[in-house]
Amino acid sequence: MNSEVLYPGAFPMVRIQLAAGEHIKAESGAMVASSPTIDVESKMEGGFLGALSRKLLTGEKFFFQTLKANRGPGEVLLAPTVPGEIVIIELDGLNEYLVQKDGFLAGAETVKIESQMQSLSRGLLGGEGFFILKISGKGTLVLNSFGAIHKIELKPDQEYIVDNSHLVAWSATTSYNIERAAAGWVASFTSGEGFVCRFRGPGVVYIQSRNPGGFGNWIRQFIPVSE
Amino acid sequence: MEARTSPDSPVFSASASPNALCFGDDLPATGAPCLVDLDTSGITVHLLQAPPIVLRVKFDEVSVSAGGLDHDQLVAQWTGEQGRRSLYIKDPVLIRAFRAAAPPGLTRRLDDTAAAVRRTRTRQRSTWAAVGGALVAVVLVLWFGSDLLVEMAVSRIPVEWEQKIGEAAYRDVLAQQTVIKEGPAVSAVQEMTRRLTERLSDSPYKFEVTMVKNDVVNAFALPGGYVVVFTGLMKNAESGEEVAGVLSHELNHVLQRHGLERIVKQLGLFTVLSVIMGNQQGLAGLMREVSLQLLTLRFGRDQETEADVTGVHLLHRARIDPEGLIRFFDRLSAKEKDRVELLSTHPMSQARAARLRTEVASLPKQLPEPFTFDWKSVQQSLAGP
Repeated sequence: MNSEVLYPGAFPMVRIQLAAGEHIKAESGAMVASSPTIDVESKMEGGFLGALSRKLLTGEKFFFQTLKANRGPGEVLLAPTVPGEIVIIELDGLNEYLVQKDGFLAGAETVKIESQMQSLSRGLLGGEGFFILKISGKGTLVLNSFGAIHKIELKPDQEYIVDNSHLVAWSATTSYNIERAAAGWVASFTSGEGFVCRFRGPGVVYIQSRNPGGFGNWIRQFIPVSE
Repeated sequence: MEARTSPDSPVFSASASPNALCFGDDLPATGAPCLVDLDTSGITVHLLQAPPIVLRVKFDEVSVSAGGLDHDQLVAQWTGEQGRRSLYIKDPVLIRAFRAAAPPGLTRRLDDTAAAVRRTRTRQRSTWAAVGGALVAVVLVLWFGSDLLVEMAVSRIPVEWEQKIGEAAYRDVLAQQTVIKEGPAVSAVQEMTRRLTERLSDSPYKFEVTMVKNDVVNAFALPGGYVVVFTGLMKNAESGEEVAGVLSHELNHVLQRHGLERIVKQLGLFTVLSVIMGNQQGLAGLMREVSLQLLTLRFGRDQETEADVTGVHLLHRARIDPEGLIRFFDRLSAKEKDRVELLSTHPMSQARAARLRTEVASLPKQLPEPFTFDWKSVQQSLAGP
């Protein structure tokens, strides 16, 4: 399998070339086009209960689609719903990534996806909800963001502060604490930041340059209110 | 000191695939995949890069802690030639081998760390269990006790508020209708109202009954004591007692604060909780918006039955013949043969009439006091254009 990002920038697509018999998992609805050799199957990753819990708990789509090159080699084009960058990560089997629920676009068949429950404080204040996706294994992982993706590399014990609604993915060797953005409670919210995550290395943190919730609030003021 | 030698007497020899990540200033931020070998004296790290590098470090130079997002990784740190190095081990087999190979001092610290991780996990699990239990409890309370909560909230809303809400809706209704201000029909309704409200001297409500020209056979009550009687009800009733019965039923909706209960229910849990918690200020604005909804408000079946029963009691106390209300329901039931009781907000008129008959039978017998007006001439005054 070989993947390549087309039209990098706000409206990219990813082209994935599959050898005969190979398959990938993709976010349901992500397929744009494919060779006639590719079959689309709907598969509930982790069994019915696993899929159900992922649907109910993380808000991720119930099914992943499986794209399989059944009748010889071929390629598929995938695109996310929102405008924003696509990034390809090669998992080495050692690094695990935690991905917020909208960040996953596609992954190789060897990539393992689980829902993970966060601690109460992280779930309540972290901005990603109580459940996030934990992605491990070896192979290609394709993530997407809202806006551009920025990669922050942290050396051991190096710290960095990220507004929680801008998080896309982070490696499991990092740790983070939730903090107020400013010293006082009132200042934290009037500054518009609320809570932030203080990440501690080593590891990498992928952030998105736009905040989906903030964009939603901004666009809401232009939507006519119906009766 | 970090030395680049080959290991002696390995107690754990790694398989071919990397089993740990090594971090350092000269290594990538995602960590360098490496092979870790353990023996009784120290750790050997094979960095899988070109050219391959082998790092050798003794246990007494290493400090050990738990790290990573969930504190489930073993982190060995030391300062080598290239600066500070961190080794992150997640593989449980390798962690066990590390604990077996490391000297007791280091192992003790490891055990402490492991115990701390277990404690954190237990605490996390019990927090979730407590939160889950609390959620289940809240759901159960809402499921079985929502009426109780609504009543608690309603009992804390002052009558003056209720009157303001009702009055706003009342003015809205009357502005769009033709109000009949005088005539024999108005006097008749006033007499009925007086007879009924005389028995309610301890009530905080001042009842205001208005007659509106409309062919709907009905009357309705708004919170705070505002009652509207449609001329359709007057024209269709066969006696003053029938109208008085309906009036008594409506007055009891007000007295039982049924309108308020419906509003609170519609506004939902948030309102209930905020009122119980004592935040009544924010509610005032919400209430005003809801006053318009009052016009489309329907009472629940329980509330209708309650108003029926207390209505009959009020009629009895006012010495008005309660048979009027029963006859009214009898005649309604003849028109609603096709309705299905389960799906209706109002109980079926036939069932209501039967329920009221048993209620009346249980009351002590008394001689009703007739009204002073002549019903036929009241009705005739409403006829015509």
